[in-house]
Parts: sequence; C-alpha cells; structure tokens
Amino acid sequence: MEAVLSIIIGILEQGFIYGVMALGVYITYRILDFPDLSVDGTFPLGAAVTAMLLTKGTNPYLALLAAIAAGALAGLCTGIIHVKFKVKDLLSGIITMTALYTINLRITGRSNLAFFNENTIFNSGIALWIPQSCRIVVIAILLAIVVKLVMDWYLHTKSGFLLSACGDNKTLVTSLAKDFGKVKIVGLILANALAALSGAILCQQQRFFEISMGTGAIITGLGSVIIGMNIFKHMTFIQGTTAALVGAVVYKGCTALAIALGLPTTDMKLITAVLFLAVLVINSREKGDKRA
Amino acid sequence: MKKQLKKLGLSLCLLASLGLVAGCSNSNNSGNNDQQSNNEGENKTITVGILQFANHPSLDNCREGFIAGLAENGFVEGENLTLKYDNALSDTGNTGLIANQYVSGNVDLICAIATPAAQAAFNAAETKEIPVVYTAISDPIAANLADETGVSGKNVTGTSDQLPLEKQVAMIRELLPEAKTIGILYSTSEDNSISQIEQLKEIVPQYGFTLETVGVNAQADVPMAVDNLLAKVDCINNLTDNTVVSALGIIIEKANEKKIPVFGSEEEQLKSGCVASESIDYVALGKKTGEMAAKVLNGADITTMPYETISDFEEVINETALDLLGITKPESMTSARVVNTETKEDKEAAE
Repeated sequence: MEAVLSIIIGILEQGFIYGVMALGVYITYRILDFPDLSVDGTFPLGAAVTAMLLTKGTNPYLALLAAIAAGALAGLCTGIIHVKFKVKDLLSGIITMTALYTINLRITGRSNLAFFNENTIFNSGIALWIPQSCRIVVIAILLAIVVKLVMDWYLHTKSGFLLSACGDNKTLVTSLAKDFGKVKIVGLILANALAALSGAILCQQQRFFEISMGTGAIITGLGSVIIGMNIFKHMTFIQGTTAALVGAVVYKGCTALAIALGLPTTDMKLITAVLFLAVLVINSREKGDKRA
Repeated sequence: MKKQLKKLGLSLCLLASLGLVAGCSNSNNSGNNDQQSNNEGENKTITVGILQFANHPSLDNCREGFIAGLAENGFVEGENLTLKYDNALSDTGNTGLIANQYVSGNVDLICAIATPAAQAAFNAAETKEIPVVYTAISDPIAANLADETGVSGKNVTGTSDQLPLEKQVAMIRELLPEAKTIGILYSTSEDNSISQIEQLKEIVPQYGFTLETVGVNAQADVPMAVDNLLAKVDCINNLTDNTVVSALGIIIEKANEKKIPVFGSEEEQLKSGCVASESIDYVALGKKTGEMAAKVLNGADITTMPYETISDFEEVINETALDLLGITKPESMTSARVVNTETKEDKEAAE
C-alpha cells in the first residue's frame, strides 16, 4: 500500500508541476485559439534561469520570480513577432522556440547543470515545516492552486474579459475600441510566464537542468488541456483552469500507468499519439452529433 | 450527465487500475522481501532497477555488461535477482517518473545509464538512501555526482566513460605521419563534446597537430558543416557526440570522396566506415559497473566509493577503410583488432 501511495504522490507531484504549464497552454490554445509552440522553449528557459541562479546561491523563490519574468519576456517576443511583424501564429512560436534553444544554452553555459547541494523551494524555508515524505507534493499543489486562483481572479477583471473575448469574438474587442493585437500579446506573455514557472518548479524538484527537457512540453500541455476539457465537458460549473490542472494530473497518471504496466517504453510515443488522436476524434464526433 | 459520469468513472478506473498494478508489483516485492527474511543467506532475492536515459548502442552495451557483471559476482537474474528495466527515451519527465517508481517499489539498487538518468535517480533516491550506481557519464564531477576526489559522500557512485584522447591522437600520428590538422564536428548542446575538445586542445600540439572544430545545432546541419570542415583538415576525429555520430553515414561518404580519413571513438563507428579507434569497450565498462553494484549489494559503503574508469582500451582498425584510402598499416598497429566496414549484404546476413 505504501508503494502505491508513493507512486500516486509521484504522479501528483509531476501532474501539478506540469499543470502550471497546462494553465498557460489553456490561455493560448483554449482562450486565444493560438497554437503557441514557444512553450517548448520557455519551459526549459524557466529551468535554465532557475538552475543558473540557484548555483549562484540565489533565494529559490526569487529564482522562480526571475523565471516568470524571463518567460514573460519570451512571450512578449512571440507576441511582437506575430502582431507587429504579422508573422503567422505557428511560425512566430517556432521562431521564439528556436532562438530560445541558444539562449537557454547561453544562460547555463552548458547543456546539463545539476545543483544537488543548493537550497530549493522543496528543501528550505517553509518546506521544512512539512513532513519530508510529502514535502514536494504539498508545495507543488499549493503553488499550482495559487497560480490557478490568481488566474481565475485575473480572468474576471476587465483585462481578463477582453482576453476571453479575443478568442470568442474578435469583432467585440474591436467594437469596444480595444486593440486586438495588444490583448493577444498580453495572453502570450501570461502563457509563457506560466510555462517558464512550471519549468522552474520542475527544475527545482529534479535538481538539474537538461537542455532537452522542453522537447515535447507543448504536447504535454495540449494533452493536459484537451483531456481536462473532455473530462469536464458537460460540467459547466467546473472552471477551465481546474480542468487544465486535473488534465495534467490524468496525463501524467497515464504515463506512469504505462510505465508501471511495463509497456515497452519504445512504444510509448506511439501509444501517446494514438490515445491523443482517439480523444480528439471522439471529441469532434460528439460535436458533430450535436450539430446534427 | 450520464456521459460525464461515465468519463469521470473512466478516469477514476484508470487511476484505480494504476494503483492496482502498482499494488501488485508491490505485493510481489514484499513477497520477495518476506522470502528474503525467511531464507537468510543463499536464496535472497534482490531487486535492481535499470534506468536508461536513451536508445543508443553504447548505452545498450553498458546495460548488457552491467547485467553480466552482476551475474559474475553472484547476482543472477531469475535466481536471486529480479531486474526491472525502463528506457526514458530522452524525456526528463519520464526519467523522473521511472526513478520515482523504482524508489516507491523499494528496489535494492538503481543502475542509471547516462547523466540525466543518474541525476534523476539520485534525486529520487537520496532521502530513502537507495544506492544509485551509474555508468556512461563522461564527467561525474561536472554532473554534480562526485566531488574533486571522485567520492560523492552520498548514496551514489559509478563508472565514467572518459575517452582515451591522448592515445587516440598518438594513434592518428602513427597512421598519418604527414597530417597537420585534425578536424572535429561536435554539437553545441553536448557537454561531453565540449569538455573533450577542451582536453584535445591541450593534447594535439604535443603531437604536432592543430585542431579545427565546427559546431552544429542539429543533425540537419551536419552535411554543410562537413563540407566546411573537409576543406580545411587532413583528417576528422569523432567524439562520442550523439548528434554527430547519428549522422556518421553522410560524414564518411563525403570524406571518402575527398580521401580524407575519419577516426572513430568506438568500435560501432568503425563498422560504419571509420578508419581506426582507441575505443572504450562499453560492455566492459558495464561489467565494471555491475561489479561495483555487487559490492554495494554485499554491504560495501557506497558513500566512500570513488567513481571508476576503465584503463584497458582497445585499438581497433578497419582494413576495408585503410585500403579504400590507400593508407598502409604501420607495424606498430599489427596487434590491433581488425574489423571491416559492414556492407548492406553483411547487415542483411546478420539479420
């Protein structure tokens, strides 16, 4: 029983850490309808900034803030490339992601940076008040919930309403005499700040940075949002942010399940792709039914 | 409403079955543990988890060697040893999940193959003090897994696959007495390559060479980079760079057109057409790792065990490539083991 519990704790840890990124992807994919690939670069960017600062002995919470700032800046870049230079959404994300690969390497100076002897949010400060066995999971959940609540609050401010309107009804935004482009940029800044924060938290949890850690981040993010949306599709009282977080936990749970079942890991990418397609197909079929 | 309940039910089932599966494997483990306490001595069953970071022939060889090394030292799979094996497919998220499952399952030891695997395993296992024995890490000190003396002071040690760079350069001098410049292709994201180049910069002047390096960011950059490099050098030397090695075919093809020899860093590369190599035997490295793991399992204190390297390297030479390039084998290399370029027919026959 103890082993099962600790595996579930492991899933919750990863689920809520990646969930923060899923919240960001929720903004771009779901609210803005913008396929933002920069996440593959901003996720490791957050990790790179954190790793670099922690090896210099910076306070781990300050390192998280720095990661958020770096992610926001990267999101701003994607936004400017897309809105001001009129580059297609997919491409502007790819441009930022590509550039960030080099920037991430420059920040850490190397492709792998470990810091097993430094203070992190999981082994210093308030973490010490929590029993060791559930330290990581408690902090990860707390952080994710704080981020979720802040986001819920924001989405109910004027600026937040505009953001939601952006994806649903562009003409409304324009008729309110608001700059549609600016709202989009705000959304991208938020989304990438969250992706970087998520990368930073993961980096502090695993205590090393690895240049490849962003590869496929967007898939995890999209997968989480879509799974979450599907689970709660008919429960309108469940907020989208909650759905994204739960989606991330379920996504990681499925991965852990595949590993625990002893499925050959070589097949895992294919299994993920097939599952993903199945969810999407079922989803679009149901939509079709409604229309008919 | 029904549908949503179904969905919820489905996801709950998923999670529950996950729990069940984990529970089963757990009960197996505890069964083993019971057995362990009942039949003290010869029938002890030990569980070892092998966490491999990526698919790579050298890493596979390490794993094979590790299992053989354990067997040679009395831990035989199926008899007194249960092995778990997982490959993280270069995904650090998976690496963490797998490491966590090993720790949750209370394995007796984790064998971690390649740097991120070792870091993730150590991160997960530190508080429970489950020993982690790693292999195929070029620089354990840079990976933060050992201090300057080679000891970690914690529950982690292993073997390093440092290349015999000096021997390699000496061998190139033997084969190409007239050559002046050695060219190196490396990928900018691989730490191992960068640190190997730093070491080479110190070594090559002693043998009268200069070094010319070209960095690539992705495998797709390799063809252009090779063209660039071939214009400036007398030979090319490969490192253990994964990106470059995976594009070896195109490098050798282009180099052969210009009759410029390419040296390898391991035997597998010679089979693709490299001329010669002072190579690491990754199976032997894995065996040494298995030996260390056996010591730990028999009660040795892992915190004081320094990481180890293997000192016996093997000179391997490819006669097909020598003939093709018109290089005569120097007498000093008559003892080198001979391999030949594998042609398509060879490969098909092997399959």
